[in-house]
Amino acid sequence: MRIDKTQRGWAIASLVIFAVLTALYLAYAVHAPSGPRGGSALGLTFGAIGSGFMVFAALLGARKRVPVWRIGRAQAWMRGHLWLGLLSLPMILFHGGFHFGGTLTSILLWLLIMTVVSGVFGAGLQHYVPRVMTTDVKLETIYDEIGNVQKLLREEADRGVESICGPLGVGKSASEEVLRAGGLSAARSMSIMSSGGAVAAATETVILTEEECAFLRKFYLSEMRPFLEQPRQHRSRLGDRDKAHGAFSSLRTAMPQSAQATLEDLEDICDEARQLVRQEQLHHLLHGWLLVHIPLSLTLILLGAVHAVMALRY
Amino acid sequence: MSSISRVPELVEITIDGRPVEVAAGTSVFDAARMNGTPIPTLCHLQNETPVGVCRLCVVDTGARVLTASCVRPVEPGMKVVTNSEKVLQARRTLLELLMADHPSPCARQENSGDCELETLAKAAGITQSRFARRTVSHGIDDSSLAIAVDYDACILCDRCIRGCNEIRNNFVLGRMGKGYSAGIAFDLNAPMGDSTCISCGECMVSCPTGALTNKTVVGTSITAGPDAQGFQAEELLQLSVFKGISGTFLELNRGAIVKRRFQPGEIICREGEFGSTAFYILEGQARVSLSAPIAHVKTQGGAKGLFKKLTSTLAARDADVRSEETRDRTIPIDASVDLAYGNPVAELGPGDLFAEMTCMNFYPRSATVLAQTEVVAFEMLRNVLDIMMKNKSFRAEIDQNYRRRALENHLRGVPMFADLSPDFIEHLKGSVELQRFAPGQVIAAQGDAAKSFYLVRIGFVKISETYPGGELVLGYLSRGDYFGEIGLLGGGVRTATCTALDHVEVVRISGDDFHNMVERFPSVRQGLEVVAAERSAQSQQRMQTVRRVPIDQFLSQGLMEAQSLLILDLQNCTRCDACVNACADAHDGITRLVREGLRFEQYLVATSCRQCRDPLCMVGCPVGSIRRRNSLEVIIEDWCIGCGLCARNCPYGNINLHPFEVMVEDLERPGRKKAVVKQKATSCDLCTHLKEPSCVYACPHDAAHRVDPRTFFSEMLGGGAAK
Repeated sequence: MRIDKTQRGWAIASLVIFAVLTALYLAYAVHAPSGPRGGSALGLTFGAIGSGFMVFAALLGARKRVPVWRIGRAQAWMRGHLWLGLLSLPMILFHGGFHFGGTLTSILLWLLIMTVVSGVFGAGLQHYVPRVMTTDVKLETIYDEIGNVQKLLREEADRGVESICGPLGVGKSASEEVLRAGGLSAARSMSIMSSGGAVAAATETVILTEEECAFLRKFYLSEMRPFLEQPRQHRSRLGDRDKAHGAFSSLRTAMPQSAQATLEDLEDICDEARQLVRQEQLHHLLHGWLLVHIPLSLTLILLGAVHAVMALRY
Repeated sequence: MSSISRVPELVEITIDGRPVEVAAGTSVFDAARMNGTPIPTLCHLQNETPVGVCRLCVVDTGARVLTASCVRPVEPGMKVVTNSEKVLQARRTLLELLMADHPSPCARQENSGDCELETLAKAAGITQSRFARRTVSHGIDDSSLAIAVDYDACILCDRCIRGCNEIRNNFVLGRMGKGYSAGIAFDLNAPMGDSTCISCGECMVSCPTGALTNKTVVGTSITAGPDAQGFQAEELLQLSVFKGISGTFLELNRGAIVKRRFQPGEIICREGEFGSTAFYILEGQARVSLSAPIAHVKTQGGAKGLFKKLTSTLAARDADVRSEETRDRTIPIDASVDLAYGNPVAELGPGDLFAEMTCMNFYPRSATVLAQTEVVAFEMLRNVLDIMMKNKSFRAEIDQNYRRRALENHLRGVPMFADLSPDFIEHLKGSVELQRFAPGQVIAAQGDAAKSFYLVRIGFVKISETYPGGELVLGYLSRGDYFGEIGLLGGGVRTATCTALDHVEVVRISGDDFHNMVERFPSVRQGLEVVAAERSAQSQQRMQTVRRVPIDQFLSQGLMEAQSLLILDLQNCTRCDACVNACADAHDGITRLVREGLRFEQYLVATSCRQCRDPLCMVGCPVGSIRRRNSLEVIIEDWCIGCGLCARNCPYGNINLHPFEVMVEDLERPGRKKAVVKQKATSCDLCTHLKEPSCVYACPHDAAHRVDPRTFFSEMLGGGAAK
C-alpha cells in the first residue's frame, strides 16, 4: 500500500473534516462556561463521531473475512480505515477536551494513542517495505514455501558438488527424484530470467580428482552446507553478499576450468538462500506490527464500549 | 493358345565346366541356380523383373567384361564361369564398396541377423572395407506408423520399387536424385507417413537390408482378455473390411487387432479413460452416451447467513443459462455421430468406427459405449487403424457413414449454416471431400490462393500468422470449427496458415460449392462476412500491436497470447494474500490463483487463467467442451467429462479439477443409480457471476489488477510510443 497521490481524495476529505470539527471545537472550547466536557452535547457528539470512526476502522478486519461480499471495494475500506482511524484521535481528544480523566478514560486514551501510532507506523512500513522487498528479493517465493525452497536449494547444491567431486556422503531426500525431472531447476531458471538476473549455467558433469576438489569439498561441507541448512542462525560470511562473492572468487582461482560452471551455480544458490532470509525478515517486519496493532484495537473497542455504556448510564 | 502348347527350345551351355541344357531365354542366373550353382545377388528376386543394378551376380562368359547373370539370357554354347578369381575379386570389391556405405549392423541385422548384404560380406570374409565411409548421412524417415526407413542402409537395389509397382501396383515408390544423392522416394519425395503409401509391407519384405524394416510400435499387442480372439493374417484377409490390405502387414502386426464379443449391458469403453485402441463394430447394437452430469461448476453467490461459507455446486444448464450460448448445440464425440445436447445418447451399429481420435492421437475416450445387444467388434491399435484408413474400400465405407449420419449435424452445428436447405445439404453430402492430414502437415499456407472452405471433422488445426519476428498462433480449431472463408470472400488469398496439429480430418467444400452456397443463401453469406470481418479486424489489431512492442519477449513468455492477466503491483502488494483468500472463498475453498509467477520489473504475473489467444488447453479435449465464448474468453462447457487433459495441457498450471459427488445411472445395473465422484475442470472464471474478479475486488492495497497485456506491457515497455 502506497501513500501516494491516489490517496489525495481521502486526505483532502479528512483534512476538511478535521478543519471543520477543529473550528467547531475551538468555538465550543472558548464559549463553554466550564470548558469543554465529554458529557456536554457537543462533547458527546465528538465522542460519537470518534467512536464511529474507530468502529469503522475496526470493521476492516470483519470485511476481510467476507472478501466476496459486494459491500464496497476492500481498497475503499482500507483507505477509510487509514484516514478515519487517524481522525478518531483528534475527535476523542476533542471529546475529552484534551483531559485524560479517570482511570478508564486514561487507559482508553493511551490505548487510542498507541493504536493510532502503531497504525501510522504500520502504514509507513507498508509504504516502504514492499518496495524494498521487490528490489532486494528478486527470487521471492510464497512465504509459507520458504522452508521448502531452502531444502530444495540445499539438495540442488549437493547435486552440483557431487557432480564434480563425487559422493559427499550426506543424506538425500525423496524430493531429489522430482528435482531431477527439472522441478526446481526449471522454476529457478524461469524465476531468475524473469527477474533479470543471471541464469545459472547447467552443471557440467566432470568428476575431478580428489586433490582438485579437496578445497571445494571442505568449503562446501564446513561452510556452505551448514549455511544452507540454517541460513537464519548460521553466522557465515555467506550471509553477506560481498563476503560471499569474495569467498567464491577465491574458490574460482583455486579450482580448474571444468568446475567454474558449478561454482557459479553454487554462488547463485547462496544468493537465493540469502534472498529468502531477507524475504523472511521483511515479511516479519511487514506483518509483525499487526501483533501490536490488532490487540490494541480490539481492547480499545471493547473498553470504549464499556466506557460508553458506563458514561451514558451512570 | 499355340504359344502355351509350344515346347520351349533348349539351349546347351557350360557352367563352371559342366554342360547343362536350359530353355532358351532363361537367364544365366536362373540356369546356374536350376543346376545347383547358386550365384550371389542382392538386387534380384524371383518374382520381380531383373534389373542388374547391384552387379554382384557377375559371371565370366568369355566376353570383354564380366556380365550380370540375372539380365543375361543364355546363348547356345555359352561357357559360364561363376567362381574364377577374377569373378570373386569383382564381387568382393563390390561388397566392400557397398559395405563402406552401410551402417553395420543395420536394423535388420540387429533384429534378425539376416541382412543379405552383411551375410554376403561375412561369407566373403570382409570385416572392414578398404574404402572411406560416407560422411554425410542420408537420414531416416520415421513418419510411417508401420515401416521405418533408413536411407543409409539402402543399397539402391530397387527391389522395393519393383515390389511396390510391379507386384502391388501401388506406384508409390520410385527413384530420385542422381549420383551420390540418388535414393528411393515416396510419391514426390514425401515422408512415407504423408505419402499415398498404404503400408502394404511389400517393400519391406523385398528389402535385402535394414533400409525398410517393420516398425516395432509400442504396444503392438492388445491386452488379450477371455473374450478376445486373435487372428492369423489369412483369416483376416477373408473379411471384406480387410480387402486390399497386405497379408504381410497383418502377419507382422498380429496381436495389434483382436475380435471381441461384448454381452448386452457390458461397457465397451468409458468416457475419460485413456486408451490406445479404436473399435469397429461387426455385429450388434451399442449405445453411446455421456454419463458425466451436463452441468457446470457454479459458485453460489450472495450470503446465506453471516459468515456462512460460500459453496460451489453443479449448476444445470436450464437453471443457469450462460450468455452467448446457443441452445441447440451438439456435443462432438469421437464417433461417426454427434450427441444431441438435450439427450446425449446415440446408437452405433455394424460398420461404425469409434474411438478413432483416442487411437490415433491418444486422447481420452470421449463417451461411454455400452453394448445393447451382443456386440462383436474389432479392437485395433494405431498401426492397424492407420492402414485400414488408407484402404480404399474401408475408407469409402467410413466416409459414407459419416456423410449419411453426421455431416448434416456437423454443418448445421455451425450457426450460420442452420438455414441451408435440405436439398443443398444433400448436394453437399455428395460433393464434399474428406481429407486427412498428418501431424504437422500444412492444410493451407498464408499467401496461397484460396480455393476451398474447410470444416474440421477430427483433430485439431492450428491457425497462425507469420510476423516479422516470429509466428503468432491465433487459435486452435477442433471438431465443428471451420476455416478458409476469409480467403474465399476476400481477395482470394489465405491470410493465415492452417496446420494439422495431430491426425486431422477435414471436410473440404470446394470454392465453387462455397460460392454457390453464399449466393443461394444470403444469411450464410451475411454470417460468414461478419465472422470474416471480425477475424480480419483482430488480425489488423494484432499487427499494430506487434509493430510497437518487442514481440520476441512476449512470444517467449507466452504473454502475447494472453488476453487478460492478473497482475500484482509488488510495490503496492503487502503480501497479505487477500486476493488468494478471496478467490478461495469465491470457489468452494479452492483457490484458482497462486501468488507466484513471472516478474516484470515491479509486476508479478500471477498464476491464474490468462484467457490465452493460443489456448493450448483446448487441444485434445475429446468432447470439445473447453471453448471460447464470442468474447474470446475460455469457457468450460457443461458436458466436460473431467478427463483432466486440459489441466495437463495448460502450460501455466491454471486449470484445476473440481471433484463432486453425484448420483449417476449405474450402467452395470440398469435402472438403478449410484453415487460416484465426478470431476469437472475449472479455471478462473473472472467471477463473472460477481461482476468483478474477487481477487481484484478484495485487494485492499490497489495491487491486483486484471489487465489486457498488450495495452499494459506496450505502455510499460514502449513508453510514449505505445500510447
